[in-house]
Amino acid sequence: MSAKIQRDAAASVGATGQTKRPQLSLDELHQLKWLLGGVLTLLAVWTVFYMDVGGWTLMAITTVAAGACLAEPALPTRVPALAHTLAFPVIVLIFCGDLWLTAELLPAMVRLDIMLLLYRGISYRQRRDDLQVIVLGLFLIVVAGVLTVSLLFAAQILIYTACALAFLLTITLVEAADGGQRAPFQKGGAAPVWAAHANWPQLFRRLREVADWRVVALGGGLFAGVVVVSGLLFLAIPRFQLENSLFLERFISKKVKTGFNDTIKLGDVTDIQRDDGLALSVDLSDRTQVPAAPYWRMLVLDQYENGTFKLSAQLRQKLGRERTDSVVHGEARPRRGVATYWTFYLESGVSRYLPLLGEFELLKFREPQNFRLGADLSVVALRDEPVTMTAYRVEGITAAAALPDPNFAKLWQENDRAGPQRVILQTRLGVSGPDRVKLGRIASEIIGGPVAGAAAAGRLSAPEFAEQVSAWLRKNHAYSLSPSVPGGDGDPLVRWLDSHEPGHCELFAGAIVLLARTAGFPARVVTGFRGGSWNGYSNNFTIRNSDAHAWTEIFDAASGAWLRADALAATAAAQAAEAKGEAALASRLDRSWTARLESLRVFWYRRIVNFDQRSQAETLKAVKDATQHTGRRLREALASASQSLRAWLAGPWDAGRMLRVLTLVLAAGGVVWAAKNFRLWIYDLGWWRGPRREDPVRREAGRWLVRCRVPAERERGEASGVVRDLQRLRFGAAGSWPEPAKVFRRARQAWREARRRGRVSSSGLAEAVGRDGFSGRNIS
Amino acid sequence: MSDFMQAGQITEAKQALDRLRANMRVTIRGKDDVIEQVLVCLVAGGHLLIEDLPGVGKTTLAYSLARSMDCAFSRIQFTSDLLPSDVTGVAIYDETVKEFVFKKGPVFANVVLADEINRATPKTQSALLEVMDRARVTIDGEAHAVGTPFMVFATQNPVDYEGTFPLPESQMDRFLMRLQMGYPQAVDELEILRTQRGGYDAIALNPVVTHSEVLKLQSLAQQVFVEESVLEFVLKIVAATRTEAEFRAGVSVRGGLALRTAAQARALVLGRDFVLPDDVTELVAPIFAHRLALARQTSDALEERRAVAAALRRIVASIPGPM
Repeated sequence: MSAKIQRDAAASVGATGQTKRPQLSLDELHQLKWLLGGVLTLLAVWTVFYMDVGGWTLMAITTVAAGACLAEPALPTRVPALAHTLAFPVIVLIFCGDLWLTAELLPAMVRLDIMLLLYRGISYRQRRDDLQVIVLGLFLIVVAGVLTVSLLFAAQILIYTACALAFLLTITLVEAADGGQRAPFQKGGAAPVWAAHANWPQLFRRLREVADWRVVALGGGLFAGVVVVSGLLFLAIPRFQLENSLFLERFISKKVKTGFNDTIKLGDVTDIQRDDGLALSVDLSDRTQVPAAPYWRMLVLDQYENGTFKLSAQLRQKLGRERTDSVVHGEARPRRGVATYWTFYLESGVSRYLPLLGEFELLKFREPQNFRLGADLSVVALRDEPVTMTAYRVEGITAAAALPDPNFAKLWQENDRAGPQRVILQTRLGVSGPDRVKLGRIASEIIGGPVAGAAAAGRLSAPEFAEQVSAWLRKNHAYSLSPSVPGGDGDPLVRWLDSHEPGHCELFAGAIVLLARTAGFPARVVTGFRGGSWNGYSNNFTIRNSDAHAWTEIFDAASGAWLRADALAATAAAQAAEAKGEAALASRLDRSWTARLESLRVFWYRRIVNFDQRSQAETLKAVKDATQHTGRRLREALASASQSLRAWLAGPWDAGRMLRVLTLVLAAGGVVWAAKNFRLWIYDLGWWRGPRREDPVRREAGRWLVRCRVPAERERGEASGVVRDLQRLRFGAAGSWPEPAKVFRRARQAWREARRRGRVSSSGLAEAVGRDGFSGRNIS
Repeated sequence: MSDFMQAGQITEAKQALDRLRANMRVTIRGKDDVIEQVLVCLVAGGHLLIEDLPGVGKTTLAYSLARSMDCAFSRIQFTSDLLPSDVTGVAIYDETVKEFVFKKGPVFANVVLADEINRATPKTQSALLEVMDRARVTIDGEAHAVGTPFMVFATQNPVDYEGTFPLPESQMDRFLMRLQMGYPQAVDELEILRTQRGGYDAIALNPVVTHSEVLKLQSLAQQVFVEESVLEFVLKIVAATRTEAEFRAGVSVRGGLALRTAAQARALVLGRDFVLPDDVTELVAPIFAHRLALARQTSDALEERRAVAAALRRIVASIPGPM
């Protein structure tokens, strides 16, 4: 079939007197098509890397199988014919079974898509199948992009689009070269000729040979233009929430890897700590506001029972009723002069409770959300656990160790006056009698006196108590991620407290709560994250699951606020002395490779997340300013250059100056002349052209031959003589050469002449001189 | 090839070849490409195998070439009962001189037309082996040189015809080229119908090239310059046939040499003293096709011919010529 194409090419030469460029044969086009199809398949299938749909095995199988068939196109013949017959029924059956078992449409569809791609990857494709590959791949890419909203989505769809365009072009070329004849579709049986003889390095060589680089450059330029225009549009159009605007994510219920819940058993937080994944990224507008030791509060737990802390029903009521809004007003009163924005990017699967530093003025979502606000608790809870990244911006955060709670203070005072104690949950111990006795003993040991009514009697303030308890715990218990709670009867927390075993943060936090409540201080457990690292590339806080933490808040009646007590942190005095602002950042600086990768993610978040039009307008304005600025600079430079030229021309023309100008002109002419005539030397210096040393005359003659093959029928005289001489220079014995410089000059003249008359296109082509000339195929 | 040829020599050679060509065109119409290949074969000093259906002018072609040269010509009609001694000659006892006298067979000529060579038994076919390779016949330990130049011009019917014995591979390798004649164009066939009277024995051609001129042409062809990159090109093609999965075995070293020699001859036939890459590519099919066999089984010989030709075309198309 390749001969046919060449014949066609020869025929068209006869008709027009010009040769076509060397072209790929039909077999090579088929090979190219196979290659591009395989690449598209792999690109599409690899989106499973960032989709949580349980397609890893399928992805691996498809990658291996399609990759092998891609590298070795004869392999599909090994697929038994039975497989072709059964493929579609089996795929449909698997899909139906999948759907029935998992009852999730989108993951099943993704898996179906991968199976179809797998089948297409391991069988020879007709045009219809090729188009199917594009559509199937596009489906995967779009689903992955919408679900992850990641930077990779942009990169991948870009590469995919370019590949798909090339693929479509190849399909069209194959169709054209086929002349509309369709090769019989082979299922099983022998491999088509193109597959049996595929040789990728050779194909790439051929591609390089036949590529018209101007067309390639033009196509690349157009594609780049489209990308740039799309990018500008992306900047210019009002942002919309891509991931929520489409319905797809509702089809995938993301499996939660970790997460804070409103019920936490001992060890739950420690489990989260074992995961090193990214949980939260925080941008802040003013770095000096960075607290020394940030505590990212998420949830308050007050009810204790047998090793489990819970959000009590009473506290749950405090969360208020559910609202739908994009703005949340907090308890903190606006302060003048401090306008720090904290932008939180909460990864999916962390929790439905939003991490916050404390009281805040204002919290903004990008779009209305269903949430509950516990204003007294400074807790914001979304209705559902978000399946995608959730972004919110908080203004006026008070990152203090004390959280004022006037409502609770009032309640506590009333309670005090009431005499016979009303039950307030945050003072209820939730342990049995013997355990109470134990706790009382320990508590009195700590404070060095009788416990009963210690708080009420005002003998001891809450901060003092917290300090003493923390010191005692640090003295008696070491910290460990894998603690051992001694066996026995009664409450596990009390058993641990009574021992000298090491413990994790929950044990410490729970112990403080129990001891505080024994001493008559209201206390509760708070879960969230502590600390975090400062990403030196994207300049933001990075908080990982391994930063998960639990601590205690004890109510201080004197100040009417909840005080943070963390036995695992430095003492309060040391905390106060810790560096804040930039110095705090320096100690947390992370410039590792992980940080580099995560910075990309944050850059992307910053790009797509928008709370108002301001940053967008700023970016556009910056682009506009830069363009205008460049234009102005260019105009100024041109104007000053023309002005100085005019001044120079207007200057006095004496002999010395004339001489200088003349010398300059002569030198320039000399350089041009030398460049033309000594080109051979320059080429000869071309060691970079490869290790093979060729005669420069032969090489130059070869170059001119390619350029200067003029149709012999048209050019009987000079031109065909030139071609003959060039052939002699290129292939003849060195002793028989005519003078090379003269031949090249004549070749140049003939070429210009022919081009002027429009007989040879500027790319330089022609057909054989009589029968002993070159055919285009051979020479290039 | 240290010395290059004089321009005069080239002109003379070209004139001689032009005369030959013109003379042959009188009897062989519309087959200029075949005539050119025959001339290439002659100048390269190789043997030629023409394979086609009966009655398309194979014998006429050989006959008109032989008649155009001032050379000894003989014709052997191969049949299934032909004996080796019928080809090479035989020593018989001469009563008058009282000793064995060697009676030369028909191979003792400059141009030997071995007509329908595949109708003879392999034994007789192989009798031609030595004489084709060494241009001599050994009978009873005594070597007899055949003429110089010596060219075997064999014709054969397509292999599957009844009553044929396929030529052994060793013998195929000794032919420089295998050509197909093909049917003439309608215009030419009409002309043949109009003018042709009688068989080829009635062809009256005057020799236009002398015996010594042929020898000179052959020696001149060996001096045609082959540039290094063209030699590498030949080598690449040969190597590609050896790595090609479709062939049972690649082309031999003799095959590569044949391609080079033929390319030189073609350059001379076209009036050049140097080889162009085109000379090589044009000759790959006629020189290599009969030296290659497919690795897989094919239904018939024609199918195999087509597959081999397609594979060769693909190889040639895939190897970029020197630039």
